[in-house]
Amino acid sequence: MIELINVSKTYANGMDVLLNINLHIGKEEFVFIVGPSGAGKTTLMRLLYREEAPSSGKVIVDRVNVAELDTEQIPYLRRNIGVVFQDYKLLPKRTVFENVAFALRVTGAPRSTIRRKAMQSLELVGMLRRANAFPDELSGGEKQRSCIARAIVNNPPILLADEPTGNLDPTTSWDILQLLEKINKRNTTVLVATHNKNVVDDMKKRVVALESGRIIRDQQLGSYNV
Amino acid sequence: MFSNLEFFLIEALRSFRRGALMSVVSVVTITVALVIFGIFLLSVINLGNIVGMVSSKMDIAAYVDKDLSLETAGALQLEFSKIPGVEKVDFISRAEAWRDFKKELGSQLDLAAVIGENPLPHTFNVKVRTPDLLAQVAKKISEDKSVTEVRYSGKLISQIKSLVDAVRIGGAALVILISFATLLIVVNTIRLTVLARETDIYIMKLVGATNAFVKWPFIIEGVLIGVLGGLSSFLILKIAYDAVSFRLALALPFLPMVRDHFLLAVVYIVMIVGGTALGMLGAYISVSRVLKAEF
Repeated sequence: MIELINVSKTYANGMDVLLNINLHIGKEEFVFIVGPSGAGKTTLMRLLYREEAPSSGKVIVDRVNVAELDTEQIPYLRRNIGVVFQDYKLLPKRTVFENVAFALRVTGAPRSTIRRKAMQSLELVGMLRRANAFPDELSGGEKQRSCIARAIVNNPPILLADEPTGNLDPTTSWDILQLLEKINKRNTTVLVATHNKNVVDDMKKRVVALESGRIIRDQQLGSYNV
Repeated sequence: MFSNLEFFLIEALRSFRRGALMSVVSVVTITVALVIFGIFLLSVINLGNIVGMVSSKMDIAAYVDKDLSLETAGALQLEFSKIPGVEKVDFISRAEAWRDFKKELGSQLDLAAVIGENPLPHTFNVKVRTPDLLAQVAKKISEDKSVTEVRYSGKLISQIKSLVDAVRIGGAALVILISFATLLIVVNTIRLTVLARETDIYIMKLVGATNAFVKWPFIIEGVLIGVLGGLSSFLILKIAYDAVSFRLALALPFLPMVRDHFLLAVVYIVMIVGGTALGMLGAYISVSRVLKAEF
């Protein structure tokens, strides 16, 4: 599903963020990307949905080298990748339902489809009750659930979560990870970048550890530390 | 596509209302620029009108020998009317001229008693098609040996004409300059509304919106701003122009302003269409620039 071959990323100021990364992630895998801040977790994720292009190497997502994608093709790549953020990035002047529907609107989906899929998505994350609430009225956990509902509303084969529990308490974090696992079981490849040791250790999933832009460990049923 | 259009319209209105102050500033900017633009167009049209009127009253007076026979005069009239650029040649015999002259003076003076016989020459009144041709035609006429004198007010005409040309060229340059300046202001004003919605755009791009999809609501918003600016400039200009031309018609009846002319309709249409185009182009440029720079 995802393959990184000799990927390096150097910023314009000369800082190396990723160095010669080789990584293969199969279909429907659940993978944690761990490491301290500045290790390159976020950059790695951004390469996958072409928020950034690598300085060298190939980034293959669903058999396409996204590093070489034309600007016009990027939107279609992104419809196949859901992204979840630490700060949720919900539109404040819109309700939960509108936020989720928004992701379908921009793909030009017909109105009836939008309503049905948005409702399904909200039901899956357990936010149907709060569909008409505005983001201000939600708890952190509810905001993250809404963000996840938006990310999966297009049924993307890949879901990326960048520090999804960064602003949440331990119990809520655990709930969110359970939700991500549930989505993973529905045939979605899930990548979670985090430095939340507890959830990584509890979930017993594949762990890829980054440090200073290099992969230092890749372990099945892994834990946060060696 | 239909559901998209609905979405674009709703988004555009939403953004217009949310950034009410910015929207008003953009509308006013376009209005002011278009009013200045319109004042220039109307000035040029009116000056052109005055020149047309004045020059239509301008003709060449050619005086010929007193002793010229009427037959020769007839031949001469035909000859003059064949000169390129000549529209019409009227012959006024010295007898006619004398009669008119006496009539004008009326009974104040018995001229015949003072002067005796008629001192006036035969006259040809020559009308030319355009004022440019006056000098050329006058020269041609004066070359005839029976012509004693040629008179016309060529200087005045050419002065008015060069004034109008200057206004036209200067006006055109100014109009281009103003349009450009307006475009820049509109681009930057709308740019602020675009930047205010950065998160929206970021999310749209993230969930797979194409650039075109992101741009449409902004372009519609720009059209809305432009149409409002165009309409208000049209209203301001029409009301002001009608008032001024009405008063001027009373005060200076010999210098009528253009009224009810199709050119006025053209100017007003240019205002509205120009406003719409400015708003649309301004929005397009600013949203494209933001998209290119930020995403």
